[in-house]
Amino acid sequence: MFLLLKYIAKLLKALASEASPVQLAGGFVLGMIIGLTPVFSLHNAFILILLIILKVNIGMALLAFILFSGVAFLADPAFHNFGIWLLENDSLQAMWTSMYNTEWIAATRFYNTVVIGSFVSALILILPVFPGLIFIVSQYRTHINERIQKLKIVKALKGTKFYSIYKTVQRVRG
Amino acid sequence: MRIKGILFLLIVAVIAFLTGYFVTDERVESNIEYQASLVNEALVEIDGFRFDLFDLNMGWDRLQVTNPNNTMMNTFETGKTEFDVEFWPLLWQKVIVNNVQLTGFEMDTERETDGYFEIPLDEEGKAEEPSFFAEITKQVTGKVAENARMEFTDIKNDINVDSLLAMVNIQSVDKMDSLKTASQQTYGRWEDTINNNPIEDRTATIKKQAESIDLKAIKTVPQAVEQVKKIQTIVKEADSLKKEIETIKSNFQTDLSQARAGVSNIDNWIQSDIQRAATVAKLPEINAQNIGNALFGNDLLGDFSVYLEYIAIARKYGSRVIGTEEEEDKPERYEGKNYSFSDKYDWPALWIKNVNLSGKTNTDISLAGAVTNISSDQMKTGVPTVFNVSGEDANAISLVVDGEFNYLEEKPRETVKATYAGFSLKNSRLSPSELLPYDLSEGTGQLSATINVLGKRIDSEIRYVANDLEFDFGQAENSGDRIQTLIRRAISGTEKINAAALIDNVDGPLKVKVRSNLDDLFLDALKGTVTEEVNKAKAQIRTKVENEVEAKREEVTEFVDQKEAELRAKYEELEAQVNERLKYIEDKKAELEKKKKELEEEAKNKAADAIKKKIGF
Repeated sequence: MFLLLKYIAKLLKALASEASPVQLAGGFVLGMIIGLTPVFSLHNAFILILLIILKVNIGMALLAFILFSGVAFLADPAFHNFGIWLLENDSLQAMWTSMYNTEWIAATRFYNTVVIGSFVSALILILPVFPGLIFIVSQYRTHINERIQKLKIVKALKGTKFYSIYKTVQRVRG
Repeated sequence: MRIKGILFLLIVAVIAFLTGYFVTDERVESNIEYQASLVNEALVEIDGFRFDLFDLNMGWDRLQVTNPNNTMMNTFETGKTEFDVEFWPLLWQKVIVNNVQLTGFEMDTERETDGYFEIPLDEEGKAEEPSFFAEITKQVTGKVAENARMEFTDIKNDINVDSLLAMVNIQSVDKMDSLKTASQQTYGRWEDTINNNPIEDRTATIKKQAESIDLKAIKTVPQAVEQVKKIQTIVKEADSLKKEIETIKSNFQTDLSQARAGVSNIDNWIQSDIQRAATVAKLPEINAQNIGNALFGNDLLGDFSVYLEYIAIARKYGSRVIGTEEEEDKPERYEGKNYSFSDKYDWPALWIKNVNLSGKTNTDISLAGAVTNISSDQMKTGVPTVFNVSGEDANAISLVVDGEFNYLEEKPRETVKATYAGFSLKNSRLSPSELLPYDLSEGTGQLSATINVLGKRIDSEIRYVANDLEFDFGQAENSGDRIQTLIRRAISGTEKINAAALIDNVDGPLKVKVRSNLDDLFLDALKGTVTEEVNKAKAQIRTKVENEVEAKREEVTEFVDQKEAELRAKYEELEAQVNERLKYIEDKKAELEKKKKELEEEAKNKAADAIKKKIGF
């Protein structure tokens, strides 16, 4: 319960923070890629490095990771089938063979149906999610944030002991 | 860009580097030692291990592989060794070593500490079935022991046969007793079966049923049909009884034949008692083969066992690793499926492409050579393991070992050729046999071995050639031993000895032949004198053994003959009785069918007459 409250609070804070919508959306899509694809894959090490060195919102990445890990659990059969379609597609065979014969690309295990299926799905999802999220964040900040802050539940949330502890911890951390 | 993030990554990289630099070597070393000791079933120790992940170089200062059969000795050890490992295969958990520089290779070295390794309980139970090589070695060792028992020159003319037989423990009497007991049980069972057989009662019952059918009482076709149905049921029962009788007869014949076969073995049992007594009395068969065995069998077959041990090790390790090579498991559904777009990553778990080795033997011959393509799965490398090592010492004594371990085909194939040449025979003996108890004052030797093993077929030759020989008869010249005098006379002019042991099972069971150019010389020398004595002693033993067992043989044979005759008579009586009843039933059925036909004809004629009458014919 505490965790849930903590993440809701973090999400609301992030949405209302000074971070730009692009940074929020960037963190979200990177987290989404890690969440949707098998975690211990080489490409995720690369994504992790991007998360660390790029100024994207890590809270959003974490949120997306948790959210999309659950989605991936349900969507794996679809990723598998999509992966089969991709890897068996005649027009792509030359590309796959060339990639397969390049050791560092092969090390990403792109030749696995779930890896390639989920990764390509994640890349495709970026197209609507990234601009969509930028739009949503802008809209939220312009129209919704103020109203949200006035909601009784939010006020109640802010009045809880957990929230005051959370704020204290945050202050201590700086 | 986050500066803090970049710094964080740099710190992580530095920590990883330092951890790898300081910790990896020891961890990898102890892991390799443990895994190798498990495979070797005795301690494998590595000193000064280093593993450089960045240069992909691995090596050690010393490696000791304990001999599991003698843990105070090493099967082999090496000095400084460097490995050149390929990087990319490591990501696929495969170890591909392009080149190994191995120095200070030595075999059969002594250990400073005991190399015993206790295999943990959870690793036990992986023991393999006794290998084919162990079986061959056992047979060859048996042959060597047989040679050791033979005495050609000390035949006793007056054998104390009574004390000899006490030592031999005549087994045929016990075997005949067991045969009699087993036969008694068999005959008892059959007596019971014949005397209390329900078939006799059942045939009597169905015969009575058939007798109750009175043909004269059948006047009409429906009556006939009814009785035919009845007889058909009886015949059905009779057929089933017939089948039972046939089964019983077949079992009866088999059991009697087995008892009879036991009797026919009696002669073989007596013969093996006689043979064993002759062996205990150390009476040799005087022929060229046995002389060859006695002269050179011990040495040549001993050498063969050593070579075979090495091949067994190769096959054991080869097949063990091949056995554990993981087949790509069928992936669980949502672990996905891996596709291969080329065979580029179809590596074996371990592949050492080339080993350049140097070292020395325990007789100080400097060795150098190469071993290529040691792999855990030759089907993946497509090449067999090939080795070629040779060397020479300061006295031009040379050693060449080459061969191939080929596991590419359905049956594993090992080929080994070894030649050890130029060693001096001065002050040594050619044979440990009492037939040749003389030192050599001059001579050089050459030992060569060729062993080809295909699956469980072995074809090998161990050859021993001694040149420029000069025997030193010394004090023996004055000995009055007539056999030794004959032997000395026979070999004094011999300058060259060529002995060979041929071991093969190409045409069936393992054959071990040891022949040399001395065999015929010795045979001629021994024939006249020793053969006569041996034959006399053998005749004594035969007579005594036969006297001991004759009474029992007669008793058992008579018992079997008598019981078998009794049983056969009883069975034949039962069979005749049953057959007679069954025949009666068959006859009754035929009569009944005839009667039915007659009645049908009669009824048909009557009907025709009635119709004719009606229509006015």
